[in-house]
This record gives sequence, structure tokens and C-alpha cells, in this order.
Amino acid sequence: MTAKKCTFSRRRFLQGAAAAGAAAMLPCSLLVPGKAEAAVFSEGDYQTFRNACPRNCYDTCSIKTYVRDGVVRFIEGAPESTFTDGGLCVKGYAYTRRPYSPDRVKYPMVQDGRRSGKWRRVSWDEALDMIAKKMLKLKEEDGSLLGLGMTKYSGNFGITNYGVEGMMSSLGYTTRFVGTPCWPAGIDAQNYDMGNMWCNDPEDMVKAKYVIVWGANPAWCSVHSMKYIMEAKRRGAKVVVVDPVFTQTAAKGDVYWQPKTASDGALALGMARHILDKGLVDEDFVRNYGLGFDEFADYLRNNVTVEWAAEQSGIPVKDIMEVAEEFATADPATIWIGYGMQRHTNGGASVRSIDALVAMTGNVGKEGGGARYGHLQTWGFNYHALIQKQPEGSKGFVGGAAKGEFDFTSGSGASYTDRTVNINKTAQAILDTTDPDIRMLWVSCKNPFAQDFDRPKLEKAFDKLEMVVTVDQFFNETVANSDIVLPVTTLFEEWTVNVSYWHYWLSVNEQAIKPMFETKSNIEIAAALSKKMNELAPGSCTFPQEIDTKEWMEKEFNQSIYDMFAINDWTDLRNGPAKARLKSSAAWSDHKFATPSGKYEFKSELCAQNGHKALPEFKAGRERYDKFRLLTPHTKFGLHSQFVNLDWMHEYDKEPYIYMHPKAAAEKGIGDLDMVRVFNKVGEQKARVKLTDNVAEDCLLMYEAWFGRGNAYNVQNLVDDESADMGAFKAGAPGVAIHDQFANVERA
Amino acid sequence: MKKQYAFLVDTERCIGCFTCAMACRNYYHQVEGVVWRQVYPLSEEIYPHRERAFLSLACNHCENPACLNVCPVEAYTKREEDGVVVHHQEKCIGCGNCIRSCPYGAPKYNPVEKRAEKCSLCHERLDAGLNPACVQACPTDALQLIDLAEFERTNEVQYPAGYPRMEELNPSTRFVLPKTPKMVRR
Ligand code: SF4
Ligand code: SF4
Ligand code: SF4
Repeated sequence: MTAKKCTFSRRRFLQGAAAAGAAAMLPCSLLVPGKAEAAVFSEGDYQTFRNACPRNCYDTCSIKTYVRDGVVRFIEGAPESTFTDGGLCVKGYAYTRRPYSPDRVKYPMVQDGRRSGKWRRVSWDEALDMIAKKMLKLKEEDGSLLGLGMTKYSGNFGITNYGVEGMMSSLGYTTRFVGTPCWPAGIDAQNYDMGNMWCNDPEDMVKAKYVIVWGANPAWCSVHSMKYIMEAKRRGAKVVVVDPVFTQTAAKGDVYWQPKTASDGALALGMARHILDKGLVDEDFVRNYGLGFDEFADYLRNNVTVEWAAEQSGIPVKDIMEVAEEFATADPATIWIGYGMQRHTNGGASVRSIDALVAMTGNVGKEGGGARYGHLQTWGFNYHALIQKQPEGSKGFVGGAAKGEFDFTSGSGASYTDRTVNINKTAQAILDTTDPDIRMLWVSCKNPFAQDFDRPKLEKAFDKLEMVVTVDQFFNETVANSDIVLPVTTLFEEWTVNVSYWHYWLSVNEQAIKPMFETKSNIEIAAALSKKMNELAPGSCTFPQEIDTKEWMEKEFNQSIYDMFAINDWTDLRNGPAKARLKSSAAWSDHKFATPSGKYEFKSELCAQNGHKALPEFKAGRERYDKFRLLTPHTKFGLHSQFVNLDWMHEYDKEPYIYMHPKAAAEKGIGDLDMVRVFNKVGEQKARVKLTDNVAEDCLLMYEAWFGRGNAYNVQNLVDDESADMGAFKAGAPGVAIHDQFANVERA
Repeated sequence: MKKQYAFLVDTERCIGCFTCAMACRNYYHQVEGVVWRQVYPLSEEIYPHRERAFLSLACNHCENPACLNVCPVEAYTKREEDGVVVHHQEKCIGCGNCIRSCPYGAPKYNPVEKRAEKCSLCHERLDAGLNPACVQACPTDALQLIDLAEFERTNEVQYPAGYPRMEELNPSTRFVLPKTPKMVRR
């Protein structure tokens, strides 16, 4: 790998540093001061801090922050991390603007009438008083706090932010929205096959001789992974990209396959059949480390042909055969299984088919190989903020609560539990849940109106709630549908710690600047609420009433983290991020799988017990209910609803578009850049159209984003809450078939 | 040949991610509407798929800069030691001559300062032995800093399609052209 080395000598650097006296940089004005030359840049003019991007991205970049006079001047990628490699992404570099954004929520505010926009500033004390009194009222009227719901997901994965869940437990047993809209079908699939979701170190992709990127778009969603794919290619690997959309990643591959959406399972099984026929199966792997391969082979022989796969997918027979053979004979070969391809009613089954394809060629457990999906190997924190005790005498739900994929607590022995409802059916859950009703909702690290499905229904559901409290940085649509908004800190204003579900680096997040305005971190909010609750009703909340966020961050570390990352103490991370020491860069390198049999299970009885097929059999996709397939993937300028709203981002991304094939547009009399209306049974959304053959003729594509500043664009006006096949086993609730959506379009 | 620093834009590697552009903004905090580095998608006549190949462009630090030649108050200098074309904003009277005469649209009008400004190849970083902010940020090494005096030519071009051919100015940026994959579509 070419490290990003500067081409200039160190001697010159030192000369420059010695000469530097004046300010190196004057943002916003007179960019080149003095008579002739700008002063030389000198790191010594700044205080530097360590931060990390907590926003649910593969890359979870390690950030180095330059502060002067208490203001973040600029940031860069931590040079110590070989993954981040000194750079961030377009979103990351916009962070410098975030704490100072004029659109930020600055103070606690109360809205007189939801969606009225009539906000008035209140003090923290007033806001918490209203909230605490409502909570106490619920408890008194319902006999429990199950009427209090909490919805939180991936807006901030800094470990201390699990204090939101901790705060809820401190109050009693509450109602939790569990599951994940993101990746649960694939998590379950990998758990059935291998006993866990565990991927190779992405940095070892450089060793691959063959790379299939299947339903992932790292050029937009994991930019730092692209250098490994490019390096593998430079070393001679062939890169095949499989995606219904000709993505930016596809444009960088050797071969692009555009199969019919949701036909991935058929395609993988067709390749598997051809590999079987050609005798290219890794017999050593399937005999010694696999379970049920013979049954799988029988299934393939009896039910699958390459011709059938070609018909299902639209990829010609000869291409399927060619890539299958090349994949099976390259050593090592790897498949990156994206989260996009499992957001279907057959997504889990499709992931299992792809896993099987990688396993039968002996590439699972191999460096440079692997069925790469994600991992939680480095998430072994104490979850001190999360694990809190209910107050004495709390009443709750009788029966077990489902847990989310990031819940690492061991089972509780209490007779009561929280009540769990499906996060992917948020609107329906609020409408349907009774005894007691969900009457009050706490939203943090999440923007349900931008991310939860069936937005029109969600509005109805929120209208049923008696009080909505949202903790956020910006006045988004969820805030508009709330009664109280509490301002929360950005990464620069709080202490926490971050790891990735993709790479193996650990970063500390330091408080680089004092919290702006009246912002508080999630755990500080929990402490303040606890104080208020105990003032009003002593003993009603067990969360500590005074906390030091740095101390709480420290409490998340333990010896096994130190051992894994070869550090003596968390303070070592102030010198730069650390990487986990791995026996091998390959997941499952010892071929000891975490399945019931300890083998790779081509046939999983557990999977069958949970209502699916034991073998990775083909499962048909969702029935089409409207003219076009509607895809709503991520944009490169944002992460879900975050970042796109920043004015800095608007400089490069001014408005949303709908992408459509020119032929389909011609039939409807739609021209490039026309304003169109996309509509289906859920709702409608207007935007201008861009004509492009990057999408198939029967497809409409709209990127999810929240633009802020009066732009009402929202793809969730068109996405219903149909479930994916898997997800309940490990994530608490099935995933959602985000890409199994259909719609029609006309000129607006 | 004298030392001449230049950007190498490898469009085969460039993923159009706009990281370089935002890294520049992160470093200099340009006022609203002022963009020093922009990432331009190539039109479909040049690359057959919309918004899938890009040119990342800032000032080209030309050998014979139009901006410098038209400036009435000598607010521009071309650095002897490395060919970087620097705009000295404190001297600028905001006449707009440079903005009108640069065929690459590099100098921009700053409505707050009422003066021009542009990329100066982060010369204060160069002098400290660092890469320009945009180059350091590029996740695929598609944007690189080269010295034309020492640069060994392979497959680069000076005037790719879509980029104005200005031989008089002799812009220093060099490009590697993008490729298309084999397409298997239904
Ligand atoms: S690109 Fe324009 S601004 Fe830059 S040196 Fe050339 S003429 Fe001057
Ligand atoms: S060299 Fe510096 S000023 Fe020029 S575009 Fe790059 S980051 Fe911006
Ligand atoms: S950062 Fe690099 S890859 Fe991204 S747009 Fe700029 S030049 Fe291209």
C-alpha cells in the first residue's frame, strides 16, 4: 500500500517550523497576510485533540482536531490510523462547521402546538420540570412507566451515549423500540451460517485475488475502503460489482453486473451450481469444517441451474459461469456483502446463499478472503452508561424483552422487563400498543421522521402521543413533531469512545471545546433529569445526579479492551487510535465456528426452527405493487438525515433529485430536470428528475437525505414498513424491506 | 526546467466523493458561495454514464498566469521556488480582472471582503513540509502533488475532454483519464 507520504524533506519542515511565528491561517478573511507570503503552518499554534466520527458509518474515522482560542479551526484524519490514513470524507470535513452551525438547537425549547413552529426558549430547569412531572403522572395513572417509550438508534454510536438506555432503566421499566432498520436480515443469516457476524479486517482486502462487491457502494459509504479495493486491483485482482444501480463503486470495477433487484439469491445459487458441476468445490473445507454440504449440493442439483439463475437475474449464462469459475479458482477470493442487498423480503435468504458460495470455495477463514458483512468483535466495553438499575418497586412487563444488536448485557433475573416493540414499525407500534398506551416518547440519536417508515402514518401516530421529547442538534422534522427539544453536544463537546463494525481501530473522543450555548451530552441530560425526578419524588430515578463525562468515558474501559488493543491505559489513545491485535486478519481463521455444531452450517437446524429453510434455498422477492421499483439508498453527502442540512454541504449538494432511465422518462413525457411527482400507496414526493442509464428502465432512485432549511424532501413518504425475512433472532425484530418498494411517477 | 508544483488528477482513481473540496473548505472556511476546489462531473458525451467520472479542479498554477498578467496592482505573484501562483488579498482592490480572465474560473469574488481569492496550493502548508489540504484528504490518492520538473510522464494528459485548452497559459495540472468497466446489464 502506498502510504500517504509527503514528498518534502523533514529538514525543510523544521526550518519552516522555526521560522513560523505569526498565525498560520486566517479563515474567512485576508487569506494571505503580510507582505508577500503566508506564515508557515505550525502545529504548535494549535491545541490538538482526538475525536472520532460516531455516525454509523463503516469508516468510523479517527479525527485529529486543531483548536485555537477555544474554537475548532480545522480537522483532519488521524495519521496514525492506516485505515483513516490522514483523511476523512466529505461528511467528516464538514464537522468543522457543525458546532457553529447557525441552524443548531441552542437552548431547551418548548413548542406551543406540534408543527406550529411556535418555539419558545425555556430554561433547563423548566424543561426538565415539565418532563419529570409528566413521567411521574404516567407512573401514577398507569401503575408503571410502560407508557414511556424510547426510540434511539444510530445517530451517535459513541459508547457513552448508551446512557440514553441507561436513563430509561433508571426510571423503571419502559417501552423500547428494538431492532434495526439497517442490517438485521444479514446478521441473522451470518449467525445461522457461522454462529456470528464477523468479517475480515478490511485492510486485508489488498491480498484478495478476486473481489466481488455485492450490493455495497463503498465509493460513497466507505470511501477509505476503496483504497484497498484499488490496491488489490493494482496487484492484479479482478473486481466485480453487483448492484441494480450502476454505482460509483461499479464504475471503478472491472466488471459490472446489473441483476434484477432482489434476485441475488438466485444469482449466488446459480454460481454455486456451476462451481459444483465444474468440481471446483474446496473439499477439505466442506468436509472438515462444514455441516450439511451434501444436502446443499443435492438441493443445487435438484433445484438450481445456471439457466434458471440467468432467467431470474437477467445476467447471461456465460457471464455467470465465467465469474463463478474465476471466483472459485482465485485464491484468495472475497465477497463484500452490502447492507443494501439484504433490505428485501428475501434478504436473509440471499445473504445465506452468498455465504455458502464463499464457504464452498474455501474462502471463509482465509486472509484476503471472507464473506465480509460486519463485526462487533471490538465492542467489548463495560456499557457502564447502559447498565442501570430500576428504582425499588418498579413495575414492568411480564415476559422477556427482545434485545438490539448493540446490547451486550447479559440476561436479567428480574421478574419484570421492559416492553419491546418493533423499531421498523414505529408508527404501527405507537398506534397499536395498549395496556398501557405509549403516551410519551423520548427520542435521541435518531430522527424517526427521516428514517422510520411510512411517514404519513408516523405523523398520525405521533399525534396520539401526549408528550414527545426530542434530543437533537438541529430543528429537523422529528423536532417539528415534538413538544420539547433538548440541545445535545457534538462530538467536539463531549467525551466518549468509538469503535467500528467494519475495521478494527479504537479511538478516544476528547472534549475539544466547551459545549456551545446550553448543550449537554446525553449522559449529562440523564443526570439532570435524575436530579429533577428525585427533587419531585425522591427515589424515582437511580441515575447519578452529578456526573463527569470524562470519568464516565473512562468507566467503559476494561482489561480485555486494553489487551486487545495493546495499550496500557485509555490515555494512550490521546497519542492516536489503536488497532486490535488479531491472530489473523481473517475472521474464523481457526475454522472453529460459533454454530451449534462448531462447523460452518450449510444446513442450519436453528434457522429452520426459527421459521426459515435449513438450507440456503432460493426465496422469491416481494410482489410488485406499482409500476417502478423504488430504491432509496444513501447519498454520498450524508449519513441518513445527518450532514446534508449543513450550509457547507449545500455548497456542493444543492437540491435532491430523482434518477430515472431516459427511455422510461420519454414514455411519460418527462424531460431532464423536469419537476416530477413520485407517488404510491404510502404517499408522494416531488423533486426534479435527472435522466441517466445508471438506473434500470423499471427503476426510480431517490437518495435519502434531510436538507433542512425549509426543504421538505423525504423519501420516507414513499417507503412502507414491510418486514424483511430475518432479523428477529439477533437484532430483536426483523429488518425492513427498504428496497422492496414500488411507485409511479408523473410530471408535476 | 524549473520546479513547478502541480496537481495530478487521476480520474481513473477519483470516485467523485468531494472530500478534497470539503477538506479545502474545512481548512479555509471560505464564505458562502465561494468555492476554491470544485469536483465537476464529466458529461455523458465524455464519460458514457452520468456523474460517474469527475475532474477535481482548483487553480492550475499556470506557467504564464492570465490572472497575474491582468492584475493592475500586482496582487499576484508566481513563486520562484516552486511556481505556485499566490494571490495576495491585502493588495487586491476587487476589480475583478483576474476573475474575468482566468479561463478555468479559479479566482472567486468574496462578497464580504469585496476582493478576489483563490487556491494558493496551500503554500503555507508546503513550506511546513505538508501536503495541500485537498491532497492529504483524498481517500484514493486520486489527487496528488507533483513537481513537473521531476515528473516522469506515463499516461497523463494536459488537456482532457471538457477542460479548456489554453496553451498560452500552459496550466500545470495533469490528468489520467477514466476507464469504464465491462457492463453486463439486463
Ligand atoms: S488557473 Fe487561472 S487563477 Fe490559476 S494561475 Fe491559471 S490563470 Fe491564474
Ligand atoms: S491546495 Fe489548498 S487551497 Fe488549493 S484546493 Fe487544495 S486545499 Fe484548497
Ligand atoms: S477527494 Fe480524491 S477521489 Fe474524492 S473527489 Fe477529490 S480527487 Fe476525487
